[in-house]
Amino acid sequence: MTDWSPGGDSFSISDRASSSARLERAYRRLVACYPRSFRRESTEEVIAVLLATAREGQRRPSVAEAADLLRGAARMRLGLSRCPRTVLHAVRLMYLGALAEVVVLVTLLLSIGSIRSSTRAAVIHAVGPHAAPAATRQLLASVASTVNVTIVIDIAFALFAIAAWLFFAWANGKGSALARVGAIIACAIYGALTIQGYAQGDAKYAPVAAIVASSAVLVIGIAAVILLLMKQSWPYYTRPATAR
Amino acid sequence: MQEATFLILTALADGSQHGYGIISEVADISEGRVRLRAGTLYTALDRLRADGLIDVDREEIVDNRLRRYYRLTPAGGRRLAAEAARLQANARAAMTRLNPGLGAI
Repeated sequence: MTDWSPGGDSFSISDRASSSARLERAYRRLVACYPRSFRRESTEEVIAVLLATAREGQRRPSVAEAADLLRGAARMRLGLSRCPRTVLHAVRLMYLGALAEVVVLVTLLLSIGSIRSSTRAAVIHAVGPHAAPAATRQLLASVASTVNVTIVIDIAFALFAIAAWLFFAWANGKGSALARVGAIIACAIYGALTIQGYAQGDAKYAPVAAIVASSAVLVIGIAAVILLLMKQSWPYYTRPATAR
Repeated sequence: MQEATFLILTALADGSQHGYGIISEVADISEGRVRLRAGTLYTALDRLRADGLIDVDREEIVDNRLRRYYRLTPAGGRRLAAEAARLQANARAAMTRLNPGLGAI
């Protein structure tokens, strides 16, 4: 603007004021994502810092600023801003475990057709070409229903495991001593079931991807438990609840 | 200790600072390399307060905006001193090995 008339100047000042008010409102919406206790104490302070670090004439939060605030809000809401690094890594691993379990579920759903056809082929191969057709049909039907039941159980187990991973990740992030013990017991049971499954021949029939994924889940679980049991993790679970 | 945490404690070592003051001090100390964002800063401050390494010193209202000043606690001072000594020992060892003829610098 080359015309520096008083009118033009006052317009640009009010324009700047409204754009900074808009910026402040946008920052407030982002800070609203933080936990209530933090907001009550620190909203005004954080807004002041955000406005002080904003560029001249900035109209809206940058993507990096928004991502930084949302990440901070997520960490505080999950209780991760105050937990030791070992617990933080353990909780991250547990979220990763939930993700791996989703992979297990998806591969299972995708391979239902191939599991059915391969068991069918195995039955036909086992009874041989000279068996009575009626008896073979009956056998195929009973094997198919067993396979269906197994698949339903596996799906239910995977859904339950996803929920369990998410719950233990959340509760351990909050510093629940009970959740730590629970996560350790759950991991031990999961490990026993997986190894027992391999021993019973799951490894022979289940798709390779599912075997790899469930082994990965087990390794993640063991790593998380080791982190939870490390010396640095203990104070987080033994301090009084009011300190959290 | 993470570098950002170390720099925040260093910024508070010679007197209390408010949020924006800490950000600019940290940028100064790190020669512009570390530019803390508000979300990162307040996550770190929340953690440091919970650990008892820093505390709120006082509050002021400047231009209708709240400024909360933070200071190092005695425990925070000890942690920072221990960490600085560790880094110094490592840096000295690196320099000595890189320049064996010169001896310790």
